[in-house]
Amino acid sequence: MKRNIFLIIIGIALAFWPLGGYQEGIIILTCINCIAAMGVSILTGFTGIFTLGHAAYMALGAYTTAILTVRYGVHYIPAIIAGGFMAVLIAWLIGIPTLKLTGDYYAIASIGLGEAIRLIIENWQSLTRGSRGFPGIDPYTTRFTAVIIFIMLAIFTFNMLESNIGRELKASRDDIIAASLLGFNTPRTRMKALLISAFYCGISGALLGGYMSFIQPSMFDMMKSTELTAIVVFGGLGSMSGTILGSAAITLIMEYFRDISQYRMLIYGVLLVVIMVFRPEGLMGSRELWDFLKFGGKKNNA
Amino acid sequence: MLELVNIDMAFGGVKALDHMSFKISDGSITGIIGPNGAGKTTIFNVITGVYSPTAGKIFLNGRDITPLKAYQINRLGIARTFQNLRLFTRSSVLENVMTAAQNHYINSYRENFLGSIQPAVKPDPKINYGFFDALLHLGRWRNSERTLKLNSLELLARVGLADRADQAAGTLPYGMQRRLEIARALALSPEILLLDEPAAGMNPEEVFELNNLITGIHKDFKLTILVIEHHMDLIMNICPHVICLNFGEKIAEGSGSEIQNNPEVLAAYLGTGEEEI
Amino acid sequence: MSFTFSTFVQQIINGLSLGSVYALIAVGYSLVYSILLFSNFAHGGFLVVGGYACYYLLTQWGYSVPFSMLGALLASGLTAVVTERLAYKPIRERTPITLYLLIASMGVNIIIENLFVVTVGGRIRALPRSTFPTGVFNLWEGITISSSDVLSLVTAVIFLSLLQLFLSRTRWGLAIRAAACDIKTAGLMGVNVTFLISLVFFVAGVLAAVGGVFLSVRYSLYPQLGNITTKAFVAAVIGGLGSLPGAVAGSLILGLAEMLTAGFISSQMRDLVVYSLLVIMLLISPAGFFGKKISEKI
Repeated sequence: MKRNIFLIIIGIALAFWPLGGYQEGIIILTCINCIAAMGVSILTGFTGIFTLGHAAYMALGAYTTAILTVRYGVHYIPAIIAGGFMAVLIAWLIGIPTLKLTGDYYAIASIGLGEAIRLIIENWQSLTRGSRGFPGIDPYTTRFTAVIIFIMLAIFTFNMLESNIGRELKASRDDIIAASLLGFNTPRTRMKALLISAFYCGISGALLGGYMSFIQPSMFDMMKSTELTAIVVFGGLGSMSGTILGSAAITLIMEYFRDISQYRMLIYGVLLVVIMVFRPEGLMGSRELWDFLKFGGKKNNA
Repeated sequence: MLELVNIDMAFGGVKALDHMSFKISDGSITGIIGPNGAGKTTIFNVITGVYSPTAGKIFLNGRDITPLKAYQINRLGIARTFQNLRLFTRSSVLENVMTAAQNHYINSYRENFLGSIQPAVKPDPKINYGFFDALLHLGRWRNSERTLKLNSLELLARVGLADRADQAAGTLPYGMQRRLEIARALALSPEILLLDEPAAGMNPEEVFELNNLITGIHKDFKLTILVIEHHMDLIMNICPHVICLNFGEKIAEGSGSEIQNNPEVLAAYLGTGEEEI
Repeated sequence: MSFTFSTFVQQIINGLSLGSVYALIAVGYSLVYSILLFSNFAHGGFLVVGGYACYYLLTQWGYSVPFSMLGALLASGLTAVVTERLAYKPIRERTPITLYLLIASMGVNIIIENLFVVTVGGRIRALPRSTFPTGVFNLWEGITISSSDVLSLVTAVIFLSLLQLFLSRTRWGLAIRAAACDIKTAGLMGVNVTFLISLVFFVAGVLAAVGGVFLSVRYSLYPQLGNITTKAFVAAVIGGLGSLPGAVAGSLILGLAEMLTAGFISSQMRDLVVYSLLVIMLLISPAGFFGKKISEKI
């Protein structure tokens, strides 16, 4: 409860603190990235399913929302929600056959699935205008919209993780056989995690479209998918506050180096390697921010 | 009542179980013994649905559970512990028990599409809540979580781990981890409890405590217990009925003293020359 | 009808040629996977290093073709070894979770790619045409095969045979095969595992450089050339990660599938077919055609 009030206060500060246009943009982008990263964190950090294709669900959300608002004049709020559910629908169709794959094999399959979805979007010219991109999206992602949606989803996420579904996901992450012998329908558990994470990514993509006013299939390639998983690992697998902090940190660092753009990707690459080499457990390990406050950082979570 | 009828289990060409048949009556404690590789754990894996048997059938209270999946069998009231501990080591001790306790299912009935009444299970309404209760932390979430927590703490007290509730399960000493597994299995309120080498790695004192714990929970929770064990003292103390396996076949069944004097059993153990009997 | 048949034969030839280049790269993926059980996405970076090394040795410093090739092989091999020592070894020693290695390898790939962007620029370059044979032979009724096709096929066969000889006839080759079965036991039997892993990376890097030079002849040279290796990776998965014959078979299948798609459906569908094949293969048999299946004891 305290945590949710804390999140709401942060939200109000982010939404109403007087800032210039540039800082506003950074806040919007941070919120968008955090939403997608939270989705991947639920799947990768809390259910133990590694994905390298979740940018595709962002693409599905972005294109669904863009097509609904531009072509059919739908209001942006139902369109964003539709974007989330389109990602859920496709994730469900894909998940039925592929979620039985475990370990590295699902990660590899997700590369294929992510690229396949992107290529279908790219080749479906009549609907998506192909690789030239989809321009003219109403800039509906204001700072207010982005922050509200982010804070709402963050509260939902933390609440969910502190309930029966959170324990269910963690059980199937830590030991899927033990989980099934404790009465969990583990294929369904994995599906739940995939659908929730696809929803988050879909919403994130929808907001990204509204922020950029222009979307292109190449924005949602394997690089973007890798970035999402890398952020979750950077924050600490199994730590949602770590995911949010890590996502914000990476977004800010990348923005800071925007002026020397040719070095930006180089720095990103170095960052990935350095994090993996020197702190593979990520910023937070599997602890949450308040675990440090409660137990003075002594809680043993080995 | 649990009944195995002519169970065969083959992995590739290797027969792990060969025409295994036995009955476990309600409320009994049955010991399963046998040399390494005799197929003891395979029996548990077949009963709990980890493997589906190559041939044969398993009945629980007259119902054929052979085609069911592991989680369905579990919900019908069969819980187990593992020879190689399978705790959620990163989660707290309390969370381990709560994870199991939230899966408490109660027997119920369901009307199928033809209108006939079928036995089924449904989630315990006292601890069950939905997705949106979880998202929003509504009142049902609060009440159910409180009940879950109290029930789980009670179980932890029963196995002597109440003061360890907040510790990460992986940091417990070995003997305590074994008892935590028992608490976790009990949290499912099973009718039948399968214990796979619960005394492995314990010192004599701990084995003695375990002895009391098993007989205690057997009485208090009205359980039917199957226990695989190498400690013959434990088996002889708590199991009025013992089944002995060798090479996937049942070679003897009877009371403890009958088994100890059975020439085939002696041959099986002396033949391998590794086990203490 | 005769037109479609000749297209068919033509695309088979093109497919085999492309497949042979994939095979050189895919074998490197599989070799590393067989020892360390992770997909080394830095492989594309090694390939780019080889391409640029060859380019600069030829054009800037004016060395002969064989010498430049040799230099390219060495440069890639050493890059692979250095990458392993600096990035992968510390991770390996700390955690058994291969995902960290996978992400680090993606990081290395990004680093190498952008080092070239920053230092020599993203401009597209071509290896001098005169240094490699460029003739096109007319086989029959408009079916052609270019010298570079022949050359890449022949080179792939030579290098893959050399690899096979190395693995089956030499002491270290046997050690690598033993380590592929069980690296811990190999270590206990007295094999110097650190050296062995470096050797594996060196061999993988060398093969990547051969692929890199051929790809730069076939297409052109640019820092993002390494992204093509994603397809070689797909080929390695289709064949069964960790299996060398599998990697070769998967590469030929993929090369043929790509070229036949390009010839009969549309060249935009090539990549879609590649990734669909990957997913279908994983669904039918996650271990590919030749991979080993692993099961857990309960």
